Amino acid sequence: MKIRGSYIAAAAIAAAVIAFPAFLGAYPLNVARNVMTYMALAISWDMLLRSGQISFGIAGLFGLGSYASILAVLRGGMDPLLSIAFAALFAGLVAFALGFAILRLRAMYFSITTLALMEIFRIVMHNLHDFSGGPEGAVLPGVIFDGNASALYWLCLGGLFVTIGASAYFEKSKLRLALTAIRNDETSARSNGVDIFKYLLVAFVVTSTLQGMMGAIQVQSYGFTTPDTAFDANFTLLPLAMALLGGIHSTIGPMAGAVLLGIASEWLKLKIPYGHLVVYGVIIILVILFMPNGLVGLVRGAMRNARRQGTVAAGTGATGGVE
Amino acid sequence: MILDVKKLETGYGKLQVLRGIDLSVGQESVGLFGPNGAGKTTLINAVMGMVKPWSGSIEFEGSRIGGMQTHMVARAGIALVPQERELFPGMSVADNLELGAAYVPRGKGIKDKQLETVLALFPILKERYKQLVGTMSGGQQRMVAIGRALMANPALLILDEPSLGLQPSIVAEVFERLAVLKKDVAILVTEQNVRESLKAIDRGYVIENGRVLLEDTAEGLAKNPHVVSAYLGL
Repeated sequence: MKIRGSYIAAAAIAAAVIAFPAFLGAYPLNVARNVMTYMALAISWDMLLRSGQISFGIAGLFGLGSYASILAVLRGGMDPLLSIAFAALFAGLVAFALGFAILRLRAMYFSITTLALMEIFRIVMHNLHDFSGGPEGAVLPGVIFDGNASALYWLCLGGLFVTIGASAYFEKSKLRLALTAIRNDETSARSNGVDIFKYLLVAFVVTSTLQGMMGAIQVQSYGFTTPDTAFDANFTLLPLAMALLGGIHSTIGPMAGAVLLGIASEWLKLKIPYGHLVVYGVIIILVILFMPNGLVGLVRGAMRNARRQGTVAAGTGATGGVE
Repeated sequence: MILDVKKLETGYGKLQVLRGIDLSVGQESVGLFGPNGAGKTTLINAVMGMVKPWSGSIEFEGSRIGGMQTHMVARAGIALVPQERELFPGMSVADNLELGAAYVPRGKGIKDKQLETVLALFPILKERYKQLVGTMSGGQQRMVAIGRALMANPALLILDEPSLGLQPSIVAEVFERLAVLKKDVAILVTEQNVRESLKAIDRGYVIENGRVLLEDTAEGLAKNPHVVSAYLGL
């Protein structure tokens, strides 16, 4: 019953979101695309986090996808829409190859390495003048769908839906048990028959594919990119802040965080054009200090308390169980 | 033989811990005793593939498993209840149990039947089914750990110091359950609490300094002067 209710709610929200272009003008649609891009990145970051691995490489794979897509069109004459799929696969393939090296690292060492990779990709694109356009970047002859605001919106929404679908699959399938087990205790996971490397590789490749796809969608929607825009550190930091604010280890948490922070950032951009990112830093610090489980954790905690008070009132007793 | 360890030598880095261990487990319950540092946990780690053997052999149901990766050993049919529990604290009892069966071929098919067995063995887990393991008491967590191992429908169940850190009444309960279990699954259990564990085992080994010092039936060990003075404190 409860599950069916949430499916209906999700379908209703999806229908409303698909219908947005009928009510909204070009500027709100543009803001929505921004929010959706960051939302997809936040979800994909969280998907890998569920295995306990903290990646700082979102921007790296996002930028890699951007460049793979724009260069496939410019140098290879590929269809723009097809180039998005190509870029996604390319990012996934790179992640697959890199995974064999960096997924043997853990904790801080993994995080630092992903951060370094992002820098390496950026520097490579910076210096490959003839191929990538160097620091000036690359420009497409035109924007995909001739820049039709509704079409661009739906394209981005499509990318987001794919990401949400993948994340939901991570949550519903056997992958969830494996990733949660790895996050909790690797030795124990292993002695329960979990092939740790295989599942980390699956998570890393899938999330990198999603990040590359969003990068490609972004570049096709703007028609140009430079190393500094494609590998902008914001593509790492903002999704991270959004997931933390909303609540990690879930699909809904990063989504909630992205809506709140995404809209807040648009507003802040207007109010404080040169300092709005400072506010992000403050939010991350406050969230870590006061709401380590994010908004979703806050809501879940409140619901649990309400339920517990209900059972105590009904006289069945609490089920704390700590001796 | 379900488990057959022959002339096993291994250690960590340059430090040799096991100096030629011979040990076998049939369809029975076998105890492994010895002081701290004797090599009990190292032997288990070697069987589970967490430590590579330097020499000697480890066979499970007739095939060599020495040096195999841990998750492959688990899939072959050996389940471990590690020291210090090593549960998944952020997961519910239900998830912990489900995980026990999810990745091991011989556990998958009969998951529901195993779950029934486990919940019948530890009724408390039924009451706490949806609770996060991290919020449960030490004794209950130990039961989850044993239950999770049993979910894999193992041919051999290894327990590394199941009584560690538990109050005496719970220790007695754990060994009572093990005495029931040994009818269906071969058991290898390491223990400091020799007195309690003698009730649940058929045979036992005493290892000291990486070698088997003596090997006898439970009754024999209970009467052995060395065991009595060193482990039973009489």
